[in-house]
Amino acid sequence: MFAPETKILVVDDMITMRKIVRKNLSELGFKEIKEADDGATAWPLIEVGIATKQPYGLIVCDWNMPTMKGIDLLKKVRAHIEIAKTPFLLVTAEAEIGQISEAISAGVSDYLVKPFSSSVFSSKLEAVWKKASPK
Amino acid sequence: MPKLDVEFLNPFIDGTIETLKVQCSFDATAGKAHLKDHIPESSIDIAAVIGLASPAFKGSIAICFPKVVFLALMERMLGEKHTEITKELEDGASELLNIIFGQAKRVLNQKGYSIEKAIPTIVRGDNMQVRHLTVKPILMVPFQTAMGEFFIEIALE
Repeated sequence: MFAPETKILVVDDMITMRKIVRKNLSELGFKEIKEADDGATAWPLIEVGIATKQPYGLIVCDWNMPTMKGIDLLKKVRAHIEIAKTPFLLVTAEAEIGQISEAISAGVSDYLVKPFSSSVFSSKLEAVWKKASPK
Repeated sequence: MPKLDVEFLNPFIDGTIETLKVQCSFDATAGKAHLKDHIPESSIDIAAVIGLASPAFKGSIAICFPKVVFLALMERMLGEKHTEITKELEDGASELLNIIFGQAKRVLNQKGYSIEKAIPTIVRGDNMQVRHLTVKPILMVPFQTAMGEFFIEIALE
């Protein structure tokens, strides 16, 4: 599993969902949690992480947001050579086949469909970590 | 044009029960759907409304809560106790409806309804009523919980 000191960025325009994700992460022992309310406000935080050589070790991001959607933030992250392999968990309330295919094509680590329980959240994080860990 | 029948209603009812159970650890039981022909006895203090739009029809769905039920749900969902519905908590009603809508939309679109994405809006007030932009009948589905009753309302133009 991700180390407890992993820097995590939670991106969601709904404060309620940011709180739910933060609550789940805190219960799993994570403390380095930052929040952004959409992709456009997340990107400068990600850039600071790159510039200070302290990049985020995990991004948990909603799909449907104003200004910059989760899928667009994912593509931006994957296109940046220094952070292209950042574990990226997309959270969505929709989960239609076309959307999932688009996320997989864009290189998502995994996706989480709302509503989700704490145990599902935890197992998704575990799956993302396994995928990101060297074999 | 879809009918307000079981095939159309059930995904919203199932989505409501599932969302409350999984996201809030809150059990709710659906009562019998009926036409909204009277003002419900339970007061409504907060509602979230979302437009239903597809190439074939338009409509709206609302989820309506008395304060006591809404605050209990938020406490379970966020792990925080509140005594009033704050601006920040209003977002929680939107999020719940957003999740319910997402689930119902997925099921209905698999059956060919082509419902489009939409964003909920919040309506606040003490003891209020929700007005849908339609002259057609509005269906109400009551839900019973340990903390009291809440409703969803569905209207199609």
